[in-house]
Amino acid sequence: MFDLLLEGAPLYFSPASVLLTVLGIIGGLVIGVLPGLGPLMGIVLLLPVAFHLEPIPAMAMLIAVYVGGSAGGSISAILLRIPGTPLAAATLFDGYPLAQKGRSQDAIGLSITASSLGGLVAGIVLIFFSPVLADFALNFAPPEYAAMALLGLLTIAVVSEGSAIKGMLAGGLGLAVATVGTDEFTQAYRYTFGTINLTSGPNLVAVVVGLFALSELFVQIEGGNFRDRPQIQKLRISFRAFRLIVNHRWNVVRSALLGTGLGAIPGAGGDVSAFVSYAVARRLASEEEAYGEGAEGGVVATEAANNGTCGGALIPTLSLGIPGDASTAVLLGALFLLGFFPGPELFQYHADVAGGIFLAYLASNVVLIVLGIVLVPFFGTVLKVPKAWLLPLVLLLSTMGTYALQNSVFDLWVMLAFGGIGYVLRKAHYPLAPIIIGMILGPVLENNFRRALLLSRDGPMIFLERPISATILAIAAVMLVYVTITTVRPRKRS
Amino acid sequence: MKLREHAYDWLAWLLIGAVPLLIFWQNATSLTEQSVASGGPMSNAAAYPAIIAWILLGLTAINALRILAGRISQHSPLDPTPTTRLALIATVLFVAYLLCLGWLGYYIATPVLLTLLFAMLGLGPIASLAGAVAATLIVAAVFEGLLNVVLPLGIFNFTLFG
Repeated sequence: MFDLLLEGAPLYFSPASVLLTVLGIIGGLVIGVLPGLGPLMGIVLLLPVAFHLEPIPAMAMLIAVYVGGSAGGSISAILLRIPGTPLAAATLFDGYPLAQKGRSQDAIGLSITASSLGGLVAGIVLIFFSPVLADFALNFAPPEYAAMALLGLLTIAVVSEGSAIKGMLAGGLGLAVATVGTDEFTQAYRYTFGTINLTSGPNLVAVVVGLFALSELFVQIEGGNFRDRPQIQKLRISFRAFRLIVNHRWNVVRSALLGTGLGAIPGAGGDVSAFVSYAVARRLASEEEAYGEGAEGGVVATEAANNGTCGGALIPTLSLGIPGDASTAVLLGALFLLGFFPGPELFQYHADVAGGIFLAYLASNVVLIVLGIVLVPFFGTVLKVPKAWLLPLVLLLSTMGTYALQNSVFDLWVMLAFGGIGYVLRKAHYPLAPIIIGMILGPVLENNFRRALLLSRDGPMIFLERPISATILAIAAVMLVYVTITTVRPRKRS
Repeated sequence: MKLREHAYDWLAWLLIGAVPLLIFWQNATSLTEQSVASGGPMSNAAAYPAIIAWILLGLTAINALRILAGRISQHSPLDPTPTTRLALIATVLFVAYLLCLGWLGYYIATPVLLTLLFAMLGLGPIASLAGAVAATLIVAAVFEGLLNVVLPLGIFNFTLFG
């Protein structure tokens, strides 16, 4: 485990990586603070920039945005009663009442410190478990990889927000989009409709930016209130939270571990883990701590858990190549496009890169605790920026970022098309993450599926004859049965 | 009437339902013409997409039944908000921008788009123009100056930081 960190240290500890971690945390916090945006949007907007950088500085920047963005949402939840991101929804319960009592700085300080410590606990679990899981995955052959990709996709589709069928439809759409381009085995052009621009398939970044950023812009414009400036009490830098957090040390560890565990299950997400940890903390709390009325423990539990989820979600992402949530799916895509394939091969052949990523994650959480506290007054100002300024700027960044990848205007049309698709799907309450995960896992699933059939001379029984792939498929089958039953049963009762 | 209260659900249904049909059509035409729609796993590029198409078809059929039977709890009507018109105008402006970007170049098309968007969202004319020019230049400095990206030059072949 420590070998990986030692190997990654020379790669990570460069001025570029450290500077980009700092900038990434600031950018992540800012985008997390702004309601409606979030870590995913931050990663999406910076993805094109990442491709112009060296792999480790690029990943350091994106991971820092992920970590900062996951923590930033709590600030608007505390100050405005509007969670900057869904991850911070549970932070409302106690964060806002705490601010109403005139303790905004304590609440923000606690949320930032808990986020950072939660992230560090998750980082330790990540460093210990990822290589073990990757080591186990060395036993995988094409049938196991195909089964694993299917399970990952299915898990995310059924656990995602919204109905399971909609999740699976979105996942299926992603798989279908992934087949566009040149077939790896026959070199035939598939579903390109004679367009040379589609021979490599639609650009992943253009699709991601369109689905998430552009559709969000449409929704935000429809939301109105472009010139609103919220009233926020003046904030100062305060380190008092360092003292307060000591009283909640076990809450931090417990919530972080819960968050990590739930994050490691593909699809579970930070919002789920925040609510679960809040419920657990509330149950275990003493009677004096009035949860829901401004309890420090409530803020600590939700924030330690949702940032713990980031580390947890990176476990299957890095060790198996199965993303834990939408943000890690995009991080996985970034790693692919930077030339590295997450999974056992990453640990076997690019241990320094894996170690560099671990260090980037740990460093991000350390930087978060410092900058999160020091920049508190600045976040109050950020929250006052009206949407009339923000929305066109996000559009410009999305457009130029996507264009810059391949100097291609065609990619901008792809972005616009997926912006429209994303908007319709959002309005119909479809989860969007399974589309991206389908696009990323699609080639893994197809290549291994076809290779497995080749090995067995076309016999599909190869998937059931091998114990690991049979077990994985059995889990997938159980999940499908469970989802079917839970979808049908509530209706019967009603 | 389910059509009205689940309008976006039906739109999404049509959108996703069209995908398997496209796959089947292409398998029967383009992929067959390229001789990759039959044979073993190495030579049959159409088999895996066809499996996905069948799954999508099955799921869209189930979803249609769910919408018809009122089994989708969340409604998705086409209810315009007071600013839906603005969202549509912004989309039209963006389409026009994409059409003109290659021809006019980044430095002409972008400030025009941004000024219009800022003004449309309620900023004053001077603030809109100043903000648009500043944003155009800052983004250009980052992409052209720092990242060595060649932004669209247009007919005037104009660049500032490249």
